[in-house]
Parts: sequence; C-alpha cells; structure tokens
Amino acid sequence: MTKIAFAIICIGAAAAPVWAHHSFAAEFDANKPIKLHGVVTKMEWINPHSWIHIDVKGDDGKVVNWAIECGSPNTMFRRGLNKDSLPVGTEINVDGYLAKDGENKANGRDVTLSDGRKLFLGSSNPDADK
Amino acid sequence: MTYRWFSITLAGAAILGALPAFAQTEKAWTAPRTPDGHPDLQGIWTNKTITPLERPKDLGTKAFFTPEEAKAYTQTTLERNNKDNRGGGVRDVLNAYNAFWWDSGTKVLRNMRTSIITDPPDGRIPPLTPHRQAQLQEQAEAVKVRCQRPGCAITNGGQPGPADKAEDLDLMTRCISFGTVVPMLPSAYNNDYQIVQAPGVVAIDTEMVHEVRRIPTDGSPHLPSNVREWIGDPRGHWDGDTLVVDSTNFTGQTRVRGADENLHLIERFTRVGPDTLLYQFTVDDPTAFTKPWSGEIPMGKTDGLLYEYACHEGNIGMKDIIAAAQADEKKAAGQPAGK
Amino acid sequence: MRNLLRASRFTLGSVTCAALLTAIPALGQAPASNRPDLTGIWQALNTANWDLQTHAAEPGPDPAIGAMGAVPPGPGVVEGGEIPYLPAAAATRNQNFKNRWSADPEIKCYMPGVPRATYMPYPFQIVQGSDTILISYEFADAVRLVNMKNAGSAPADSWMGWSAGHWDGNTLVVDVTSQNDQTWFDRAGDFHSDALHVVERYTPLDANILMYEATIEDPKVFSRPWKISMPLYRHVEKNAQLMEFKCIPFSEDVLYGNSGKEAAR
Repeated sequence: MTKIAFAIICIGAAAAPVWAHHSFAAEFDANKPIKLHGVVTKMEWINPHSWIHIDVKGDDGKVVNWAIECGSPNTMFRRGLNKDSLPVGTEINVDGYLAKDGENKANGRDVTLSDGRKLFLGSSNPDADK
Repeated sequence: MTYRWFSITLAGAAILGALPAFAQTEKAWTAPRTPDGHPDLQGIWTNKTITPLERPKDLGTKAFFTPEEAKAYTQTTLERNNKDNRGGGVRDVLNAYNAFWWDSGTKVLRNMRTSIITDPPDGRIPPLTPHRQAQLQEQAEAVKVRCQRPGCAITNGGQPGPADKAEDLDLMTRCISFGTVVPMLPSAYNNDYQIVQAPGVVAIDTEMVHEVRRIPTDGSPHLPSNVREWIGDPRGHWDGDTLVVDSTNFTGQTRVRGADENLHLIERFTRVGPDTLLYQFTVDDPTAFTKPWSGEIPMGKTDGLLYEYACHEGNIGMKDIIAAAQADEKKAAGQPAGK
Repeated sequence: MRNLLRASRFTLGSVTCAALLTAIPALGQAPASNRPDLTGIWQALNTANWDLQTHAAEPGPDPAIGAMGAVPPGPGVVEGGEIPYLPAAAATRNQNFKNRWSADPEIKCYMPGVPRATYMPYPFQIVQGSDTILISYEFADAVRLVNMKNAGSAPADSWMGWSAGHWDGNTLVVDVTSQNDQTWFDRAGDFHSDALHVVERYTPLDANILMYEATIEDPKVFSRPWKISMPLYRHVEKNAQLMEFKCIPFSEDVLYGNSGKEAAR
C-alpha cells in the first residue's frame, strides 16, 4: 500500500463528517440508558422524527404506553416502505435513552424485532448512489 | 460593490467556467431542451456523498483521489460512520438511531476530489475576518452568560445554550431552515432537490424543509437592500448552457459557515450528462471571510420522488426540549419537576 | 368582373382552409404545444379564507386593534350556499368556530392543505414544467408537486396531500388525496377528516384569469360532495414576485410559550 493511500485511510478515520442530531442531547439523557420491550400500538409517520408508540408491560403487570422517537419517514419511503410497514401488534425491543422531561419517551437508538433483526433492515433503496 | 461583484464573477467564471475533467468525457452529450430553447435541468437530483465539505488538513493541496485511494477512503469512512456501532454517552445519543434511518451517501464525489471545496487550493474554508471573528465571539460569550443557570441544554456537540425559549435554539431545531439550501450542501438524509423549469422561472424545491427557491430568469432586479430573507433573493440568467444564479439580500442568520448578511452566493448549474447535473458555487462575503470560497458537486439523478418534509408541524421534539429545560430549572430551584 | 372572380376564388380557398383547420381538433386531443401555460403568479380576491360561506362582518379576536382586526363581510364561494355537514360533524364545526382564535392551525403557521392554500390572501406561483407542475405558496413556504406522469399512491398522509394531474382540454385537473385531518378549510372552523378527497379544476378564462373549482368529498364529515369556485387573478405588475413568509418565528410564542407541555398542538 502506498504511503499516500495509508495516509488517506488514517485521515478518513479522523476527518469524516459526523452527522449528529444535536437537539437529541437536549431532549434525551445520556446518563439514563433504557431498554424496553413492547407491542406496537400506533405509528406516527411525521417529520422531523417519526414516533412508534408501544405498550410495555411492567414487572407489576401494569401496561404503560411509551413513545419512541425514530428517524425521518421520508428515508423509509425511499427504501420502499410505507405507513403499513410496521403493523400494530408487532413486538419490538428498544435500546435507547430516556427523555429528560420525565415523560414515558425514549429515542429509538437501536430498535430490533423479536428475532434480533434490526427494524426495517434489508429493504432495498431505489435511490441508490449513481 | 458593483465592481467587486463583477470581478468576483470573472474570477468565479475562470475557476468554475471550464468544465472539470470528469465532465469533459461527457461533454459530447447535448442536454435536451425545454420548449423555450434552454437546457432542461428538470428532475430530482441528489448531492449525497461521503466526500467532506473541507479537505482534511493533512492532505494539504492534494485535490484528487486516485481510484485506489478513493476505495480505501470509502471503506474507512463507511465503517467509521456506521451508526450501528454503539458507544456510550452523549455521542451515542447524538447518533440518534440505527443506520437504516441515515442516507448520507456511500460514495466519493464523481469528480474524485478530496473535498467539495475547490478553491482556495487547500480545499478549506478561508479564515474569517477579524471583524467577523469578534462578532461571533461576542455572540458565543453572550450565550454562555445566559446559560449560567439551570435550564441550559447541550445543543451542539457540547456547546451549551439556553433551551427554554424557541428563539434561542438553532434554525434546524426550530425547523426554519437546515443547512442544505444555500448553498446546496448534503446532510444526514433526504438529500434531494427537485428542479422544475418554465419560461422565465426556474424553481428548486429542497426537500428539507420544503423550501422553494423561485428563480426568475426574466432579468428582473433583486429586491431592495432593506429587505432581507432567510434564504436570500435569487436571480438567474443563462450563460450559454449554464444557469447562473445570483443570490443576495440574506439576513445573516442562516449560518452559512459563518457568513453574515453581506453574503453573495453565485451558483452555476450545468447538465453534463443524462444522470449528472454539475453544481458549482462561490461564497463571496468580504466582511465575513478573508477571501471567497468555491465548491463543486456533480449531482446525480434519482428515480425516486421528493416527499413532503413538514418539520414544524410535527416538531414534538421542540416541546420536549423546552419542557426538559423547565424541568431542569425547577429541579435546581428545589421544586419537583412535575407535569 | 375579373376582380370579383379572383376574390371569389380567394374566399373559396380561405373557407376551405378554415374548414380544414377547425376540423383538426376533432381528430383527437389538442397537442401539448396548444395547452395553456399556467406559469405565473396568481391570487384569489375574496374572503374565502375567513369563511367559505356567506358571512356578515363581526369583531375579531383583539379589541385593541379595533376595526383593523375585524372579520370582513363576504359572499360565500360554496355552490348552493351551504356546506352539507353530517349532524355530528356540524356540532364539531360549531365547536371549532367557538375556539377559532386559538384552534385554527393557521395561527401555528401550519401548512394549510388543499384547497385552502389556493384562497389564502397571499400570492402563489405556478411553475409548469414538463412532467411536474410546482405550486409554491407564499404562506409558510408551503409547496405542492403535481405529478403529471405517474404519481402512484402516497406512502402516508401529508399536510399538502398527494397531487396527480392531467389535462382535460384546456383545464388542468388535479386529484388530491392523502391529506391528514389536521387542516381547516377556513378561519371559521370548517374542517374535514383524513378521508378527504379533493378534485381541482383550473380553467383559463383569458390570459390573466383562471376559473378555479374544487369538488370536496369526505363521507366521514359531509352528507354528499360539494363544490367551491372562484376566479384566480394573475399578478400582472412588473417584477411581481412572491416574498419570503416563513411564519414559524411568529408562531413560537403561541406554540411553546413558557412551557412546551401546556401548548396545544
């Protein structure tokens, strides 16, 4: 490998742009990670973030409804999905961070289905880079 | 001001006028025409790319990748940017969600450049003027002072700012404008723009946040200088087969990497192939930057559609941020953070 | 005599020519080059945004600005006069009317949906491209892309709906579906559900006036489809342009106030 190529790799590691939702740090608490398991009750396909609402059964048997903040639905639509792609009743696991305002809200940092597959993974992207 | 505009345009034309090497091979291709005889720029175009706006410092004046270098860079960048890599702390919160939801590109620019910026030769934004530096410093100090109390929240990678009033938050969080319109720079996802063309006007619809630039090509003059607009006032004319768009009358609050209200943006659109729209821009703002800077993105045609991005209407996060700031304040004052 | 004959031959020729020319359109649809170009800046000139139905003047929400803030009178734009609400929906409409100075989504700078965007008291710009007609509205930077080729179906509801257009002679027909249920038709509380289906017709009356008609159908709210119509006037002044009306900053106090939680959505 040439010297320049090696330099490119190292620099690539250091300088690649990191797209971040800076507002999330104001909304969710980095010191309060949370894991939830629940059943989808409603989907809101809205921008800037979509929301998945899930019923979570606590250890006390009580069911509490949580709102999980996810990404832009436009990205989903471009990958061939639509409002029917996450049916009510689907079981999902959420690994995220608790909302700072004390409500039953979390960001869906990592959302998986019962079989461990990441949510929506595997759908094609017709808007692929040319 | 007129003289300076003229000389900048000449300089810009010298830098931007000649088609870049990658487009030369496609030069034989002639763009289809609209009924009024101009090249047809219509379609949905994307500017997504892993190539950064600014060239990494260590690359100095190395402006182009070799194919081997591009491959290595792509691999490293995609691995590093993969949002399914988990860490912890604030950084993990900022990464927001799974890789599925991100769509910021998987390839380097077709022109094989190491940065979007083509001028200055180091591929980086020139230094701010001392005047502008002082202004921004003053603003940052004022924010720190306002934030010397509970109710402040991290807004941008650790930079504190008050969060209990909407007007203190950034334009993106407020859903007013993302940094993707002027100039047309890529971001995390939804990097799509639709161009619709008719005699006397070209419209560019930026998906985020459904902002339309209505560009008259009928020779009408700019708005008077007392009228300022968030995304400026664009005027277009045809220079051969290139649409040249000249935008002025900015408010200075759109935060184009430090630009102020004297921002003068010059853009050039040239259809160089069936699937390629060459986009070139020059940021000329003499009170903010020590010299003008220019960039280039060969945009790709996409078969998808533009989707509505109604941001403000669904901005639940904004309510949550302000409510969180209120909760912080109450906690610090010894009150319960109640509903 | 010779002149007369010559004249007759000419007349005969032109009559034949004219007959041929008028016969051509009968052979099929007018070619694309004969379609009207609706590109331009247009605006409605009525009080439909205040109230689609005929209404008298009345006080506005802020007595401090007196006559400036009053609701102006205006003839309605509804064909037949009345909007045919189902009984339960009529009650909701009355409730909306009572709460209109806080509940109208226009206050929050929310995109107005179709057809309200057409008759808000601000200009809009039609850019008629090849496969797409873009309509840019000054209010809230709202925009619509009318797909003239193959719109397919909407992946989800949206504020400005999913627009599929085609030409019917000289009339642009736009079929609008998949609007969400969050918008109102006017400031008087006229509303709809997410089953709303709107069909618009834009017909040039002359170079500077379009006749606009919209048929509104929503079986969850109305007992039958109903129709509104109004002229749209071209802005013919030199250098006419839309200006930026990003109204979000004007709505933030109302929406977020001092506590995001208390604000109504």
